[in-house]
Amino acid sequence: MKPFKFISATSQEQAVTMLSKNAEAAYLGGGTNLLDLMKEHVALPNELIDIGNLKLKEIKATTGGYSLGALAKNTDTANHPLVRSNLPMLSKSILAGASAQIRNMATNGGNLLQRTRCSYFYDISMPCNKRVPGSGCAALEGFNRMHAIFGWSEHCVAVYPSDMAVALAALNATVKVQNSKAERTIAFRDFHLLPGNHPERDNSLTHGELITAIEIPKNNFSTHSAYVKVRDRNSYAFALISVAAGLHLSGNIIQSAGIAMGGVAHKPWRALKAEEFLKGKVATTANFTEAAEIEMAGAKALSHNKFKIEMGKRTLINALEMALKG
Amino acid sequence: MEDSKKSIGKGIDRIDGILKITGKANYATDYPAKNMAYAVLFKSTIAAGEIKKIDTSEAERYPGVLKVITHENAPKLNPEGGLRGGALLQSPQITFHGQHIGMVVAETFEQATAAAHLVKVEYTKKSEKIDFEKLAQTPEMPKGKELADLVRGAGKSALDTAEVKVEETYETPIEHHHPMEPHSTMAIWEGEKLTLYNGSQIINGAQSAAAATLNLKSEQVRIVSPFIGGGFGSKGGQWANLVLAAVAAKMVGRPVKLALTRQQMFNSVGLRQRNIQKLSIGATKEGKLLTLAHEIISHTAVDSEYIEPCGDCTKIMYAVPNSLISYRVVPMNLILPTYTRGPGKSTGSFALESAMDELAYKLNMDPIELRIKNEPEKDPSNGKPWSSRTTVKCLQEGAKAFGWNMRKLGPGTNKVGDDFIGYGVACGTYPARQRESSAIIKLKLKDRKVYATVEIAASDLGTGTHTILAQTAADGLSIPVEQISVKLGDSDLPPAAGSVGSVGASSFANAVNDACTKITHELLAKSGKQFFVRPTAAQLMISENTAEFETRSNSKAPADAEKFSSHSFNANFAEVRVNGITGMVKVTRFLAVTGAGKILNPKTARSQIIGGNVWGIGMALTEESVIDPRYGNFATRSFADYHVPSNLDIGNLDAMFVNEQDIIPNKMGVKGIGEVGIVGVAAAVANAVFNATGKRIRSLPITPDKLL
Repeated sequence: MKPFKFISATSQEQAVTMLSKNAEAAYLGGGTNLLDLMKEHVALPNELIDIGNLKLKEIKATTGGYSLGALAKNTDTANHPLVRSNLPMLSKSILAGASAQIRNMATNGGNLLQRTRCSYFYDISMPCNKRVPGSGCAALEGFNRMHAIFGWSEHCVAVYPSDMAVALAALNATVKVQNSKAERTIAFRDFHLLPGNHPERDNSLTHGELITAIEIPKNNFSTHSAYVKVRDRNSYAFALISVAAGLHLSGNIIQSAGIAMGGVAHKPWRALKAEEFLKGKVATTANFTEAAEIEMAGAKALSHNKFKIEMGKRTLINALEMALKG
Repeated sequence: MEDSKKSIGKGIDRIDGILKITGKANYATDYPAKNMAYAVLFKSTIAAGEIKKIDTSEAERYPGVLKVITHENAPKLNPEGGLRGGALLQSPQITFHGQHIGMVVAETFEQATAAAHLVKVEYTKKSEKIDFEKLAQTPEMPKGKELADLVRGAGKSALDTAEVKVEETYETPIEHHHPMEPHSTMAIWEGEKLTLYNGSQIINGAQSAAAATLNLKSEQVRIVSPFIGGGFGSKGGQWANLVLAAVAAKMVGRPVKLALTRQQMFNSVGLRQRNIQKLSIGATKEGKLLTLAHEIISHTAVDSEYIEPCGDCTKIMYAVPNSLISYRVVPMNLILPTYTRGPGKSTGSFALESAMDELAYKLNMDPIELRIKNEPEKDPSNGKPWSSRTTVKCLQEGAKAFGWNMRKLGPGTNKVGDDFIGYGVACGTYPARQRESSAIIKLKLKDRKVYATVEIAASDLGTGTHTILAQTAADGLSIPVEQISVKLGDSDLPPAAGSVGSVGASSFANAVNDACTKITHELLAKSGKQFFVRPTAAQLMISENTAEFETRSNSKAPADAEKFSSHSFNANFAEVRVNGITGMVKVTRFLAVTGAGKILNPKTARSQIIGGNVWGIGMALTEESVIDPRYGNFATRSFADYHVPSNLDIGNLDAMFVNEQDIIPNKMGVKGIGEVGIVGVAAAVANAVFNATGKRIRSLPITPDKLL
């Protein structure tokens, strides 16, 4: 860890101004990922701006849907009555992530900004384009069992680790952001980036921007949704595959589906092809299977993660079946 | 004494429990010392070669840095002093990725950590040996004589004529000990005397290894280690951190704390080696074993050899006229493997007991029946009589308690919702031994009550040594446990065996018991009186109004012990649920039934057994360390990647002990439970997975992808 300055911000404006002034500064939310990265000498901020005192903790209903404060804790979000009754898929996804202790500390905004758990990213003796642009990707030809099957590039095959964000992608959320000039909102599918030629960039925030809230539009998934996570142990493990699925049904006809996958890409992978296929179809295992096959047809495995294609298909079908059951 | 009045055999709470939960039990780096400095190790980033140049200038200029120590300025140490794993900063040679190549000593841990990142190292690389799969094609003969091929009868050739055969290969990955307390050392010099606060499973072993390595006399070194936060073998032998703390303290002239980080633990303190085991069993149609061959390939280090004896269970478990056990080794550029809970037996039993399950399936026979059918009357490896053997009892009592009759013989036929339910059984064993140990008993009379202090350089891994020794002394002296204090974990105390290889409880308890007997005799002699009913030590202290009295005694295994084969035995029962869609496995119930002689404290014993079970379940389902063959580093290098089981992975665990009295291995009839708790566990789980799904997974761990 390198020494750093620690400042507690008292207002959003102050936090944004201070961070904008220093290219090597970082916001400190729950610290559940940043502090690990600092101890591993991966993140080297020279200044931490603690935003823990800012009033961004509210979870509320809005005219168009729901707003989750960026600094509300993951545990409080998952257990909030509004979330439990209207966004059960989100609640389940949060509770499938990390451990109880980490969820108690972790914030909603911070959850979106988690960095990959690729072990080569964490090991500073290894090449990693995400950590040191241009140094190469050790995982591409290395131990890549946990890595991407969608949207990877030869520069980076890492996956994005959050569970919560997978549900947010399926729920078509937007991210509310403040910078030194104004507020803006970013559609969830545009928030996280694919690695392309710049895997050092995880998301579309610019330096200084602060997430203030996550907004979720009203939806018709609450009675038919599921979050299924497959992992190497039953708690405290990142997803091999996870699927968030919501169905809006009229009788047994699917009006629309919201589906996203975790553990498969550099961002929460919205299963748009499967969603498109299911629109207007009857909710049957045969249709779920075809939707899953259509989605997984685009997957491209690495040397150690071929199983993710079959597992992805099975988990997609399973999540849709569970959503149907309600 | 009547049994009901005895403390031994009662599941009393740990006498050090309150100290621990209130934070008053000091572990190695908890001891206060003035003027402390902090050492942080830095490590090689290549697997084989030489340090060409090491530039420490920037690190030396960093605020708070007192010294940067590398092979260029470290004092000359004795690499043959008995420490394991090398990495003593004696030369520029690199033999594994993550080898210690230096340390920064600074005013604070944070400063030392930051400065360590400023050291610049240039290497000359050599070709490294790290691709196990490739190297295992051409393994070498082991150097150790005890690992020479062991052939009985016609060896493996009897397989050709067998009616029923199983020939399969089983693989187990590298695993790590990862005790809750990472290895850490505090070193304080007073003149030429050195005190090392360091978690040590063998106090006197740590003392002599540290002294010899530092070119000191044993009496110049004191090891203090009353509490240890687990070790599982990794604190049995001692590693470089023990003496490097002393080197740093000497060079800066201040007390030094050196604590490994969790990530550094992966390549600093040994590991469980990777093994490929081929099992060949030949049997009659009735299930009588004709031949049993266990051929093992294991990795070891390039400059030193340690092989866990995977064939040990196979040597003694079943009656079979022809057998072969062979070891081959693959030297690799990795830290030296070392004793890891149930060394050899846990991994070996996975292969043997999986193969037995495969044979039972082929014979369409209940796996318990198959085992009972092949129960040996004598130790097949040496023809010695058993001092006692409880395999059949463990199987039968366990089957009843577990509800084995609910098992469905046909795999994949027991389904509830998406889950397949399966039952598995597997046996295990571990030798029972007593090692030489000494103890002092000090008695004091105060207000007509007798207080005792037990002194012995035993160790307590957290398993309850303090408590069982207090119970032993309570019975030996006839005073309540509350009036006994136990001093251990200090090399200034009478020398003792270690908490290793399941010898701790038998060696320590017999030493204390003998000292109690001796002090009672001496008090009797001192009184000069004749008694019709022999009085206890406590009664003599009171009747003779003796203010203080003490004695010391030394204990060894009984002379006849060697004429018998003495082991603990167990039977493990697992119930698993396997999700048919995702392949995720949950162990919903697990029962270990153990025959381990006298159980001194059923409560701490149960904890130790179920702790072994948990690790065994981890071995079966989650734990695997992966090496990147291009670099020789661990690709799984933190607890995010190296998965130990979580609470949710562990269902309902239970431990039972069968009643067993066997005073042949030692007078108290204690066989030891530390190791046997993990033996057979992984096979029981893997066999249950087969029973649930029909899929035989022969390569651990059984992760969801293997069950798709």
